[in-house]
Amino acid sequence: MSNEHTVKSYEEELQFLKDSLIKMGSLTESQLGDAMDAVIKVDKDSIDKIIKSDEEINKFRSKIDTQIMNLLVKRAPMAIDLRETISSLKISQDLERIGDLSKSNAKKVKPLPLDLPDELLGNLKRLGELVMKQLNDVLDSYVNKNFDKAKEVWKKDEQVDDLTYIAMESVIDFLSKDKKNLDFSTHLIFATKNLERAGDHITNIAETVCYLIKGEYLKGSRPKGKVIQE
Amino acid sequence: MSNVKIKSKNLNVYYGDKQALFDVNLDLNEKEVTALIGPSGCGKSTFIRCINRMNDVIDICKVTGNIEMDGMNINDKDLDVVSLRERVGMVFQKPNPFPKSIYDNISYGPKIHGKGETKSELDQIVENSLKKSALWEEVKDRLDEPGTSLSGGQQQRLCIARAISVNPEVILMDEPCSALDPIATAKIEELIDELKKTYTIVIVTHSMAQAVRVSQKTGFFHLGKLIEVGKTEKIFKNPDNKMTQDYITGRFG
Repeated sequence: MSNEHTVKSYEEELQFLKDSLIKMGSLTESQLGDAMDAVIKVDKDSIDKIIKSDEEINKFRSKIDTQIMNLLVKRAPMAIDLRETISSLKISQDLERIGDLSKSNAKKVKPLPLDLPDELLGNLKRLGELVMKQLNDVLDSYVNKNFDKAKEVWKKDEQVDDLTYIAMESVIDFLSKDKKNLDFSTHLIFATKNLERAGDHITNIAETVCYLIKGEYLKGSRPKGKVIQE
Repeated sequence: MSNVKIKSKNLNVYYGDKQALFDVNLDLNEKEVTALIGPSGCGKSTFIRCINRMNDVIDICKVTGNIEMDGMNINDKDLDVVSLRERVGMVFQKPNPFPKSIYDNISYGPKIHGKGETKSELDQIVENSLKKSALWEEVKDRLDEPGTSLSGGQQQRLCIARAISVNPEVILMDEPCSALDPIATAKIEELIDELKKTYTIVIVTHSMAQAVRVSQKTGFFHLGKLIEVGKTEKIFKNPDNKMTQDYITGRFG
């Protein structure tokens, strides 16, 4: 545990930044979960609420940007404080992008039919749950400065890739059975891809948390699962 | 890999009963800038004063251990201190030009060291030194004016010109910018960048930002001990020692 800064207001500003990021993280987590639920349950009523919460996340992002600018100008942070400041900037960018992807997924609910078969949604649900767990774990690793946990998340992105592949395959199977499924299947494919991208942002956050804690970037390229050709 | 210009091994300094430096082991690389940081009274100035034997002027000061320049023992009792100081120049916190003309400020050193025997040789040394210290353009038409008539920043560059006029190998700078405004500071920092191509530079500074900007290596002193030394980038981004981290992040109570 570090001592406190001699300048109290510096200490408060850094704490305020960390608090803002934690709040932004928890908002992003709820939004990702809500968007996932909306897709699985084809719940068209929640779309507006999810879109609205994305605005909140974006506001947090600009608030955090301002806090970081002020810290850089006023304090010229060094060492752990510098890493904390720069990491907050990077993590808030990744969270904002995850928010955008959740919003995009919520929008995909509109054209979906209400009677989607379970086997089609099962893999997507599993993927969504895994991505949710990854986000939860990475935020937890940030709050508790847990290097091993962050690295675990980083490694586990391989499973996100694999599940994305499986979920994509089930949608493509379904699509190939009947051409009239084409329209909404395309939306499901995008929704699946969005989850995989959210997984990538979570991996970025994991890398940032590792850097924040140890001051070094993780060595080597991260493990990759099966990848759908783009 | 840079060559080591100055090497201190188990260097201890005492002022009477009070020990000011404890077993300092520090290598200064040739043609590099090494910054020394640490709270007031931590020994960083005492350390650089060992390099040109400035501590000799303090009667109660005793130095033990080893300090070498290019393998030569600086502490050797038989060493000619004047020629050592010809090789190791120094610039202080407050600009301290001689109460003489700008020209005489620069030519004094070479004269007493027997360099520049003719007027034209001296003229050349004065011009070169002032050019190297980025002051020539500002003073070339007023070389006979007193050095003290210059602004603070110009006076400090004059002192740097004076230090390099005898063609030293090492320049010690003890908080050279602490009395200067940001523009004059920027000019000195720009100059340090240029000078390091020719000279080995050691700078004591209280400004972390300055240490980051000008140096390649940084040493952190605390209570007479060298706590940590390493690449400047590493020290300010991710120091190994908690005391270093506490000091540079402003957590020293």
